[in-house]
Amino acid sequence: MAQDAVNADGDRPADGDKDEFNRFVTGLGRGVGGALFLALPMLMTMEMWYLGFYMARERLLLLLLLNIPLLILLAHRIGFEETFTWREAVRDAVIAYGIGIMTSLVVLTALGLLRGGMPASELVGKVALQSVPASIGAMLGRSQLGHDDQDGDDTKETRYHGELLMMAAGALFLSLNIAPTDEMIVLAYRMTIWHALIVAVLSIALMHGFVYAVSFIGGHELSPETPWWHAFVRFTLPGYVIALSISIFTLWIFERLGDSSALEIMLSVIVLGFPAALGAAAARLIL
Amino acid sequence: MTRSEQGRHRERHDPHWVEWLTGIVSALLVAGLLGWIGWEAFTREATPPDLTIAVLTTEKTGNGYRVAFDIHNAATTTAASVTVIGRLMDGDRVIEENHIVFDYVAAESKSTGAILFRNEPAGRRVDIRAAGYTDP
Repeated sequence: MAQDAVNADGDRPADGDKDEFNRFVTGLGRGVGGALFLALPMLMTMEMWYLGFYMARERLLLLLLLNIPLLILLAHRIGFEETFTWREAVRDAVIAYGIGIMTSLVVLTALGLLRGGMPASELVGKVALQSVPASIGAMLGRSQLGHDDQDGDDTKETRYHGELLMMAAGALFLSLNIAPTDEMIVLAYRMTIWHALIVAVLSIALMHGFVYAVSFIGGHELSPETPWWHAFVRFTLPGYVIALSISIFTLWIFERLGDSSALEIMLSVIVLGFPAALGAAAARLIL
Repeated sequence: MTRSEQGRHRERHDPHWVEWLTGIVSALLVAGLLGWIGWEAFTREATPPDLTIAVLTTEKTGNGYRVAFDIHNAATTTAASVTVIGRLMDGDRVIEENHIVFDYVAAESKSTGAILFRNEPAGRRVDIRAAGYTDP
């Protein structure tokens, strides 16, 4: 459908324009759907509202800025439409960010979380923080909710760093969901070191299992002559290190580290690393 | 590199050396992490929370005085709902008493807080102590 519209553009410019417009609107709709579907858990999390006004502004700014290259890279990979050039990727990223901001604004207002009497910094902070997961959701909306006809029959090669980046995006998305909650901290405090060790091993095992052993659509397989530990060393272990790094980053952004000792921080990071690792694995399957 | 075809991805058999380098560095990091945590698991003894308080500053605020302090937990167990009582003493007489609750003071970590007094602490004794905690 999408490809036809582009091909027909030369012959029947009027129809082509109309198709393109419809396709674009459908893309926007899917974006809103994705933003709602994936960011609603965060929009309805109490800690996220509080973070909106108390988190350090420089960390919020850093998160908002880092979201831009992440969206552009995601757009280049999936996008609202098939993006072939970086310019289109930037355009799609901007649209996704816009959808994220609008969706957060509308939902937060509808839920009565934004009121007239609040200071501007609180209003802006709440919307800005929520716009990050919402914009990623908007971007993923197309790939998860959309079913393009030509999906699946194209052969493409993902560069190694692209694969690592996908894992980082997946890990970031899930840890944004979970890092702000108080449960994260409570879990880390209640766990013994033995629990943490088990969680770490479990994370690595599940990460490898999901991508290679269980035959999901989008799963990865190895050539018969490649031993299993090749992929384990080249993909799963770097993926876990990425998941842990993303966990440290999100905990730091949300001021969850505090003045804790190194070991306490490590326990929190391993706990958050569990969903982050699964997010990283899921990203390799989905994207 | 990974080749995607019919929704399946196949890992290349002849990867670039960077993939191996990244993999080996990651393996070392993960092994180091698990080794460190494992070593701590064997050597660290669980001790009950041991809380000490150090007064940091005393400042005048709009409607009284703020005494900021930090609370340090030297033990290897986290304390929850830590109640801290602050008294302003003149000799043996208690002039003012306030309390606050810390949700958590993590193991081997410190948290900061402040107690607000209406009366001037200067020239008087400020007594801040932890009154109790629960296990998380």
